[in-house]
Amino acid sequence: MGKDECKTMLDALNKVTACYRHLVTALGSTSDSQNLREELKKTRKKAQELAVANRTKLTALLKDKSISKDDRAEYERLWVLFTSSMELLEVDMKRSLEIGQDFPLKVPTRHLIQTGMTGSTTTVAARAMSVQNMKYEADANIDTVDLRELETEIAQVDQMMEEMEMKVQVAPWAVEAKQEAGAELKSTVSVGNSSVGVISICEEEPKETVEGENGTMKIFAGIIFTAVLLIAGILGYLVINL
Amino acid sequence: MTINTLSQDGVQRQQMPCLTKMERMIISMQDPDMGIKLRNQRLLITVIPHAMTGADIVEWLIKKLTISDEAAHIGQFLVKYGYIYPLKEPRNLILKADESAYRFQTPYYWMSTRWPASELDYAIYLAKKNIRKQGELIEYEKECYNALHKRINHTWDFVVMQAREQLRASKQRRKADRIVLECQEQAFWLVNRPPPGTLDIMNYGPERRTMNTRVQLNAEFYKKEIEHNRMSLARNRVKSSICLESYVKYCEQYQPHDPIMQGCLPSNPWITDDVLFWNMNSEAVTVPTKLRVERWSFSFTELLDDPMGRKEFLIYLEKEFSAENLCFWQACEDVRHGESSKIPEKVDEVYKQFLAPGASRWVNIDSKTMEKTLEGLKRPHRFVLDDAQMHIYFLMKKDSFPRYLKSDLYKSLLARAIVPQETKKSVFPFMRRQRHSSPSPALVTHTTEDDGKAKNSNSVKSNSGTASRL
Repeated sequence: MGKDECKTMLDALNKVTACYRHLVTALGSTSDSQNLREELKKTRKKAQELAVANRTKLTALLKDKSISKDDRAEYERLWVLFTSSMELLEVDMKRSLEIGQDFPLKVPTRHLIQTGMTGSTTTVAARAMSVQNMKYEADANIDTVDLRELETEIAQVDQMMEEMEMKVQVAPWAVEAKQEAGAELKSTVSVGNSSVGVISICEEEPKETVEGENGTMKIFAGIIFTAVLLIAGILGYLVINL
Repeated sequence: MTINTLSQDGVQRQQMPCLTKMERMIISMQDPDMGIKLRNQRLLITVIPHAMTGADIVEWLIKKLTISDEAAHIGQFLVKYGYIYPLKEPRNLILKADESAYRFQTPYYWMSTRWPASELDYAIYLAKKNIRKQGELIEYEKECYNALHKRINHTWDFVVMQAREQLRASKQRRKADRIVLECQEQAFWLVNRPPPGTLDIMNYGPERRTMNTRVQLNAEFYKKEIEHNRMSLARNRVKSSICLESYVKYCEQYQPHDPIMQGCLPSNPWITDDVLFWNMNSEAVTVPTKLRVERWSFSFTELLDDPMGRKEFLIYLEKEFSAENLCFWQACEDVRHGESSKIPEKVDEVYKQFLAPGASRWVNIDSKTMEKTLEGLKRPHRFVLDDAQMHIYFLMKKDSFPRYLKSDLYKSLLARAIVPQETKKSVFPFMRRQRHSSPSPALVTHTTEDDGKAKNSNSVKSNSGTASRL
């Protein structure tokens, strides 16, 4: 079905957009490196491929006059999702160009901002590219070469968006979202639980509850374990002695 | 069909110059030799590097810029604009020059006038926070969330999807980095969408185009400057000693007439809820108050502004056979302040009655003004009769008005005018209704601090004394 295909492709584009944004936030900071620039480049190219694929599919579907009204409403909704995704991508690409130009890597003294982030972004990039491990094969001067490519790509994306606006007549304000406010809370529980585990020291009252809970659970388990061991030892001793 | 919010009027926005300067300063702080001293931040188990104390920041600024007092002030800017954020109290964006910890913000989240924070981003951030906190958002965040849900409802699905994906992406990092990411994003949104009641640092009013439009320093520009300065030199200036004298005279003349300074007889309606004062000074009263009649003698405008004064003056002019002047003046006022659609017919009326040769009430205007007015009557507009009106006004002012003030009509009216009695509260005979129930600021200086009723009544007595003198 065209709709399901579209949805999976949109989900993929959404995932890559989120990962790309995550990578761009690391630009210019201490987690910046040649690898990061390469990751950005690869993610960007993947995003563009997905974007083009999505666009052709959706325009084909929307141009088809023989679809029902519900179907058309659904496709318009998907179209709005697509354009929002492209908006985010476009802004992120422009910002990455700006920041990339301000923070070159091949200078004698790097002045990367010391933000406290020291880990690498390989896992995020791997998630974006849907691979297990990232392979890095770029040259040493990727930061300057890539920027030129980036400029051309930005121009391409701009052009694509203009074409989209011209060719497809979809009124975004007429689209009604399927999710209501607060819909994200009812979703996959896994997202909620694991991120609650982070100590939120950013708040005024440091919430160590969850961490504390885990701690007490561990202590409790430890106590029970040692108690069981003790009882087993005592029983064994008694059995042996009796 | 997306609205491109990135460029305004097709011109690419520039980064504000002060922000560029701050960015340069932040970059120079990163210098490994000359930069700021960084320490580690210890949380329960995790250790996050690159933290600095407020004292370090101020010290570095003093050393680098060779200043002393302004260092704290400049440091404040860095914090307020979001380039450095506090770690202990993130909502309190101030720089404390002590042991409180701060950290640098990543360049993506720097304040940027080129890429202002968009509503879509804010919605995604709030959705993420909603998921993390299981629905426990702060009050104003909840309101923003609901407002955004209404406003950008068409992309709400995208907001939810993107929020989930971004959280999944950040889960891929290790714990220390995750904490830093959260703090960074929170600091960014505290600066760009400040909570209600806190300072909005980017609230700088309508955008000025001065950044992009440059003034050409050519001959045209200098000619304009010279002309402007020449006109300023030629302006009429009055010595302050002279204009202050006339100002003092004016105040002295009008002081008895001011209800706040002098109090008003019978009583101030705003204080005592007694509308006698307004009734006695209304338009169609048979016997006017003395103050009112006296005021007419101050200037011609005062006389004309008061409807009763105008009536009296008309009666006098009729005796002198020059009433048409005042009628003409009134008709011109009507044209000036009346409805636009009726102007042509009104002007026509005026012409027929007052200006046409042989008219029933012909006014005496000099030939030059008459020619100009007749010329303008061909295309009537609101101010076409202005010159003629001005001429007649000055005629009346110079000629009829002084004679009116000396006339019997005016003098008899002045003699007949009454001075209203202060209303007395009849319930308690020894408690007078004060003319100023709340002491006016002018009188507070006269009366001494211990104001018993006696003192108040004394001041009242002295005031009523002055009133009877009037």
